[in-house]
Amino acid sequence: MKNSVKKYSIIISIVICIIIIYVCTLLGVASISFWDANKILLDQLFHIDLGMENISAGAVAIIWNVRLPRIILAFITGGVLAICGAAYQGIFKNPMADPYILGVSSGAALGATIGIVMNFSSSLFGMNGTAILAFVGSFTSILVVYNISRVGRKVPVATLLLSGIAIGQTISAIMYLLMIFNQEEMTQIMFWIMGSLNGKGWGQVLTVLPYVIVGGVIMLTSVRELDIMLLGEETATQLGVDTERLKKKILITSSLLTAAVVSVTGIIGFVGLVVPHIVRLVTGPKHRVLIPFSLLFGGAFLILCDTLARTVAGQEIPVGIITAAFGGPFFVYLLRKRKQGGA
Amino acid sequence: MERLMPRIMLDFKDVVSGYGEKDILQGFNATICQGEFVGLIGPNGTGKSTLLKCLSGLLPVKSGVITLEEKDNTSYTQRERAQMIAVVPQSFDIDYDFTVEDIVLMGRNPYLSYRTKESQNDYTIVTEAMRATKTLQFRKRLYNNLSGGEKQRVIIARAIAQEPDIILLDEPTSALDIHHQIEVMELIRNLNLKKSMTVVAVLHDINLAARYCNRLILMKDGRVVVDGTPKDVITEANLKKVYEMKMFIQENKLFGKPEIIPLRVIKESEDYRSLRIHVICGSNKASQVLEELEAMGHQVTAGVVNQGSDDWTICDVLGIPMIEESPFTAISSEKQAENLAVMAESDVILISDLPFGHGNIANLIGLEKLTGEIYFHRNCLNNDFTEGQLEKRLAAIKKQKKVNEIDDHQEFIEKVKALTLIEEK
Repeated sequence: MKNSVKKYSIIISIVICIIIIYVCTLLGVASISFWDANKILLDQLFHIDLGMENISAGAVAIIWNVRLPRIILAFITGGVLAICGAAYQGIFKNPMADPYILGVSSGAALGATIGIVMNFSSSLFGMNGTAILAFVGSFTSILVVYNISRVGRKVPVATLLLSGIAIGQTISAIMYLLMIFNQEEMTQIMFWIMGSLNGKGWGQVLTVLPYVIVGGVIMLTSVRELDIMLLGEETATQLGVDTERLKKKILITSSLLTAAVVSVTGIIGFVGLVVPHIVRLVTGPKHRVLIPFSLLFGGAFLILCDTLARTVAGQEIPVGIITAAFGGPFFVYLLRKRKQGGA
Repeated sequence: MERLMPRIMLDFKDVVSGYGEKDILQGFNATICQGEFVGLIGPNGTGKSTLLKCLSGLLPVKSGVITLEEKDNTSYTQRERAQMIAVVPQSFDIDYDFTVEDIVLMGRNPYLSYRTKESQNDYTIVTEAMRATKTLQFRKRLYNNLSGGEKQRVIIARAIAQEPDIILLDEPTSALDIHHQIEVMELIRNLNLKKSMTVVAVLHDINLAARYCNRLILMKDGRVVVDGTPKDVITEANLKKVYEMKMFIQENKLFGKPEIIPLRVIKESEDYRSLRIHVICGSNKASQVLEELEAMGHQVTAGVVNQGSDDWTICDVLGIPMIEESPFTAISSEKQAENLAVMAESDVILISDLPFGHGNIANLIGLEKLTGEIYFHRNCLNNDFTEGQLEKRLAAIKKQKKVNEIDDHQEFIEKVKALTLIEEK
């Protein structure tokens, strides 16, 4: 019986996510009427024409080329950060782990800073120069962290986490130094660091989509081993898990995924840390359920935060501010509720 | 024919291993055959757990070879090894809310690839493992909400679900009360007997080890001290080499296995002045007083005791000098004279709680001429089989000497303590 509930709940969650995507597409600063927006969606998605003659090309562009890709990118980004966080918390057996813990974010930020400072504007595969540099930066920092902590074939978790922090701090120092010497670009850099989905289109969606699909599938093939990893590395080894291989697999997958997303959107905090915890409170620790639900919940959460970011004030607010402002208190509420429940 | 040659499951040859620079195992050698129930015993830090870690692939060997089912242990992948060896750790906590069934199902991991989901067959094996360990009724409960004994049973169920040939246990009972200790050991013995699983267990409780294992390996400093049946291994000579303490070994008549009674490690001798104390004993009630006096550092002597009596045994174990007489024999005049000579040198003489008869009343001859203080246990008068001789002797002694009468041995100990305590400044 419980299994059927679980099966239904994933379908219900997918439906809810689609509804959120739909509703948020209708919301925005530009005044496009409810019916017009629906007509545009039906026309673009299913080629059902319910009278497009009164609708301006601008409105079509806003719905189809601005809002929808932005919302889908928000979904992907939120989902990716959440599943990477879930996987990291699993292999590191550390509740503080998030996708940025190994210096991905600082690497990306330094890359982006260099891009902005040097006004690097050529583009490749739908990514602009800043994004490419951010990607290179984040991946380089992971490689450095990994190689610093590697002892022979093994990568001890504690060393990995600590060198992640150390390298992250060092890279941030370089970045701040660059900012000091380039004060005109400071605001731009700050906005990039705080993360934003502003001005993202189908190009960015298509850039990150392959990573997400491949990475997600790899994650899903590791769910049983990730569960066992939660019992500790020694026990996992004794139960036949090649822990070093698993760590490597999750590390490479997660850092590629995170790097891809971060280079496009900037550093959106909190989703990767908090969403897996929230989902775990509901679904339990098994990754077979945790990973898909984290993807859905993380995605939905970021869409809602981004919708607030673009509608609530006259000016766009970086979405990272919203995620932290809402995610933090909500998480505290859940923690306290759980404590009272005695679980 | 095959039965005659038991299959060799494990072979250790000069195994050296440890953490960092430090070698814990320093040349361990042993061969373990199918169906054996081997207990590893020895003090802390002698490499018992290290050995299990080497075996289960957590720790590399620095030199030497471990052969697991005819192949070098290093030639197996972790997955292959987990199909042959299951490990039951000491006690096991997890920070996450897994159900009992989740945990047991993890035992099937070595047989599942990332593409396959658990099959019906896996669930059957898991259910069977939970039934065998009596954990089936709480399969849906959270592991974390179970008691210590229940948790340990779940972990054993997981080990069974692994369908191993060899099961390794690292102090599986150390966190449990005696009910659950016995329960766990019985479970493991059943696996050993019914499924002819080879068991290697690190055990701290020597009595538990002697009772359940059919072979014991006593270790010290990373090497084998003795390897054999419990009867061969659990001897004073062997254990004294390994554990620095006073102990007492007797046969447990119920199980026909040797049993160790640990006495004490710390001597109280520093706190007391040493006296020469002679204890007249020879039945079975003076063991405790003898042991306590010895531990306080007094020069204890005893006599005349018949060989084979309980008091004789304890003196023998503790190395207390005594005047001995053959079993069930009346005290000869030579032994009586010898005894008197020893008592003449003593500061204190204790007539312990002891039945007197015609055979041993000679112990009391000549006491009135001694210089040492005499203590007499009143209960002797209740076990007087001498038809009045005891009272006569006592009266004769009392005529010339003060006799301090006591009602139990503890009272005597307290008096001796008061007499000899060294005041701290």
